[in-house]
This record gives sequence, structure tokens and C-alpha cells, in this order.
Amino acid sequence: MKTCPYCNFDNREGVFFCEECGQPFVGNQAVATSQLMPEDQANSRGRITWGTARFDRTSSIVVHIRDHPDPISLIPKDEILLGRSDNQSNVIPDLDVGPYGAAEQGVSRRHAAIRRGEDTLTLVDLGSTNGTHLNGQRLIPYQPRVLRDGDEIRMGKLVMHIFFK
Amino acid sequence: MDISRNLYAILGVPPEATQDDIREAYRVAARRFHPDANPNEGADILFRDIAAAYEILGNGLSRSDYDTARRRVREEPNYFTLRVTPSKRVLSVMQEPQVIYLLVEIAPMRQGAQRQDQEARLNLTLVLDRSTSMKGLRLEKVKIAAHQIIEQMSPDDILSVISFSDRADVLIPASRVTDKMALRSMVSMMRAEGGTEIFHGLSAGVEQCQRHLGPRMVNHVILLTDGRTFGDEQQCIELAEKAAKKGIGISAMGIGEEWNDSFLDALASITGGTSAYINSPAAVVRFLNDRVRSLGDAFAERLRLAIAPDADIALESAFKLHPSPQPIEIHPQPILLGTLEISRSVSVLVQLQIPPSPRSAFRTVARLDVTGDILGAERQGYKVLSDISVEISEHPAPEEPPPAILDALGKLTLYRMQQRAEEAITRGNIAEATRRLENLATRLLAAGQENLAQMAIVEARRVASTNMLSEEGRKTLKFGTRMLLALPEPEEG
Repeated sequence: MKTCPYCNFDNREGVFFCEECGQPFVGNQAVATSQLMPEDQANSRGRITWGTARFDRTSSIVVHIRDHPDPISLIPKDEILLGRSDNQSNVIPDLDVGPYGAAEQGVSRRHAAIRRGEDTLTLVDLGSTNGTHLNGQRLIPYQPRVLRDGDEIRMGKLVMHIFFK
Repeated sequence: MDISRNLYAILGVPPEATQDDIREAYRVAARRFHPDANPNEGADILFRDIAAAYEILGNGLSRSDYDTARRRVREEPNYFTLRVTPSKRVLSVMQEPQVIYLLVEIAPMRQGAQRQDQEARLNLTLVLDRSTSMKGLRLEKVKIAAHQIIEQMSPDDILSVISFSDRADVLIPASRVTDKMALRSMVSMMRAEGGTEIFHGLSAGVEQCQRHLGPRMVNHVILLTDGRTFGDEQQCIELAEKAAKKGIGISAMGIGEEWNDSFLDALASITGGTSAYINSPAAVVRFLNDRVRSLGDAFAERLRLAIAPDADIALESAFKLHPSPQPIEIHPQPILLGTLEISRSVSVLVQLQIPPSPRSAFRTVARLDVTGDILGAERQGYKVLSDISVEISEHPAPEEPPPAILDALGKLTLYRMQQRAEEAITRGNIAEATRRLENLATRLLAAGQENLAQMAIVEARRVASTNMLSEEGRKTLKFGTRMLLALPEPEEG
């Protein structure tokens, strides 16, 4: 069996392109698959280049929240919960954006999660009220998408960038 | 007794083989392809040839008659060759099923044709839509295209022209192209009115084409429409099946957004023709002329491919890559591939599934057989066959798949992604359809197809908000991804 590194679909041995998402399995695998971002494309008209999707055991995560100078380091684990804490519920997110004005910007208590896969990280929206956008594209709830170094994550109106170190 | 064929090759024995060798070779072949042993559809077709060969060679008396007769005839030239390349020559030992692809290439051998200077004779029927929606530029362009086709044809060719709306008129009954002026003026009289009922036009067209049906001719109907036909699609398909049996090919071209592409695809696939999407009236002239030119370059006609996988191997799909990309049905067999042109090969990509292979071994995979009528040499039913086997090994050496297979598969994957997005919409699974279109956009962009990628992302959004694709977007994506297969392969290395 050949598990697709992009979408986790189990392909039969012998196929050269994932039957689910079209990811090539042979040849130059280092080619970064660019993700389409219509808004930005309209602005720059150029091809957007993306960072690596590779996230191995030694990597760590750094998050920059827009308009806040100090980066936040996260300890990688199987699931990192993103959201805001408040005093009415006992949800304690791993990345608590409550102090960054999250409630006003429409961040849910359990908004999204970063999950660790085989050498990759995926971002999944946990059915949040105002949705999660990855590089300007709205995520379908509970549908994980691969994160790349330098990606922009928007929860409600709160924008942050994620970097692999 | 058909002495034109090398029966020894069919059984896979040398001409000096003993009767025992022949009996053994027949037993091995029967174990692979006898319908009781092999449920695959193509096996039956291949086995008929094997049984016929054994009937002659298995008996010493009839065998020596055959040998004597064969010595008297001149060795037949190779009219075309069949080359089959597997995606891997050595497979791994594996407890689970695996996929293997075969690239099937049929190439004309020009020196094989004795009278290669002579052009193939055309027996062409144009079936042209003149419903109200064709009014104006579309109909004008169709007339121009028809005029140009009349100009190109030689006095030996036969042409008929049908115009149809909700009824059909025979504008030009099947006749030799002698008085071009008169033929042109008959085309000019076409006026737009009425609805679209394809069956009327198509049946009148097939009727005209049939009048001059010849085994040494290219018998072809080109249907051009911009509308959707209602209620008579099944009739049309049945008509196409009958036409195919008689050796008539049908090519279907759709203009604009309305027409039913999967219906026209089916019409063309059944008969070995091609189907195309013409997105602007201006392109009509080029499309029609290209099609007629390619028919005029015919070297062999009524090309038929039979694929007989071994009993435990499953044939999953086949797709015609060249000269014009076309999805093909694997039932019924033999698969009709249409025309082999003098200077272009025909190629097909076949997908097979091999069962779990727990031990290292050499094994046979499939036998393929291509039959065609050679136009210049007046040779009908010329056949070539190819038997494919692979090695199954514990530790296969790393092997780069053939670039041609990889290139074709990469493009075919895009076409399939688009098809599966459509299927998801039909099933009502909007989330899946959106995801598939987004994935398609990503892959298209990676392939450098920015316009199609943009179209895919626009359609993904449209599906997410309206649960539907636009007709234009759907057809552009479908035929756009299909036409990627017609692009030349990147240089090797």
C-alpha cells in the first residue's frame, strides 16, 4: 500500500499518482505543490512560492500573531488546540489567543487544531462559528489541510503566520 | 484455410516444432484463455484464434497442407506494428493487489503499403445542426467549413451532407465530388429553424454513408450540433452500435454550452471516432477541417483492439491517448480505435490489477491483439499480437517508469479528478466535489496550467455556494484536461 503524503489516501501499489488528490509519487518529489490563492494572485499576478511542508521530529513551531511583536513558540504534539479560554468554560487551548482580543475578532473557544502526521502538520477547523482560512481559502470543517512553513492562518478575523524551526 | 496468417506465432511455437510441442503449446494457451478458465471478456476473442490455429496445426495432415500453401505465397509485409510497454518490468513480491499500466502503441509501417502514394478514399457524411440556436455566426461558419471540405475532396471521394433540426433534409445525397460548384450552392441554402433532434439527422446520415460503404474506404459520419437532444439518445446509441458493426465511424462535435457531452462521447467511443468541444464559432472551420484531413490521411481503418488479461488479472480501464485523446469503453470487446493515420501512431493506456503475488516468479500478464483493414493494400483483417509478461521478485532493482507512461498518467489523473468531481456533484456530495475541484486546481497550477486552474477554483466556489457547476466551466475543464494529453511530452532527461 502507498499512503499519500498529501491527503493520507491509501493507494494500491503500482500507482504513480494518488488516486484521490493527484499527488505524484515518483520523480522529483521536492517540487513544492503550490496552492492557489485567488486574492493574492489578483494582487501580485505572480506565482506564489511556498515553504516546505516537511515537519520532522526535530522541528518546532513558531507562531506570529499579526500586530503583536512577540513570537510564540509551541511544543509539537499530536494535537495542538487553537482557541480562546474564558472563565465560563474549562476549555484550555494549547495556543490561547484570548489575550490577543480573540473574542472581539470572532475566535471560537475550540476553533481549530494543528495535528501532527507523518512528517507533516495539518490544520483542521473544528466547526468554528466564523471559520478558519488557510492562505485565504476557507477550510471545510473537519477536513485537514497540510500546513507549510510560512502559511497564513486566519481564525475569524485574527490573522497569524506559522513558521517551522 | 486462412494462409495469410502465421499460425505458429499464434501458438507461440517455431515452424519446426513437433506435434507434441504444438499440443503442449495449445494446452498452455487454453489454460490461459479458454472461456471456462478465464472470465475476462477479451480472452474469448483471443482464444478463438488459438483454437482455429490448433485445428490446423494440431493435425499433421492439415498442417502440411498449410505449410505447403504458405510456402507458395510471398511473405506478407508488416503493415503496422504493435508495441506494448509495461509500467514496470519487475514487480515486488506482495501480499496485496497491485496496479500495472500498459502503454499500447500501434505504428504504421509506410513501406508496407505498396501503393502508398494513393490517398485513402473518403466516404464522408456531414450531419449539420441547423436548429434556431445555430442562427447567425455559427451557421455561417459551418457553411464555410463545409465549403472548404468540398474544395479539399478529390473526385474519387464520396460526400453526402445532411442538415437537421427537428427533421432531417438530405442536402447532398451520397455522390462523387465532381461538380464542386453545385455542391457548394446546395450547402449555402441551409437555413436555421426548429429544434434539435439528433436521431433524425444521424439516421439519415448513416443511411447515406451506407450507400457507398466499402472495405477499402474510410466510412465516416461527422455530426456537428449545438443542442441537446431529448428522448432519442438511446435510439442514437443503438444506431451508432449498428453503424460500428458495418464499419462506419462517427465523430461528434459540440458547439457552445448546451449540448450533452457525455452522450456525444458515447457516440464517438462506440464507433472509434472522436468527440470535441468547440467553444467559439470561429473554431468550427479549423476543427472540421482537421478532422477531415486526419481521415484523409488514413493508412488503416477499423482498428480493433482486444485485450485478454490472464484469468486472475482484472482489466480496469483504457484510455486512448493519441492521435486524439478519447475515453474508451472496455466493453464490449474488441475495442474500436478508428483510423490509423499514415504518419501518426495510435496509442492507448491500459490499467490492470494484478492479484497478491506471494512468491517470486515469471508470469504472463496479458495478450493483446490489434486488427485493421489496410486501405492501400486492399488487405482486410490484418492482425498483430503481443504477449506481455513480467518478473515478480523479492528485491526488484529500483526502476524508473517509462517517461511516456508517467507523462500520460499525470495528465490522465487531472482528467479523472475532474470527472470524479462531477460524479460527486451528481451524488449530491458537495463537500467532496469542492475538495476535488480544489485539489484539481492545485495540480493544474503545479502543471503550469494557470487558466484551467483559475477555472477550477472559480467552479469550486460556485459549487460550494450553488451546488452546481456552470456548463461552460464544466465543459472547459473536461475537454481542457483531456486536451492536455494531446500536448507533446516534455523532453527526456
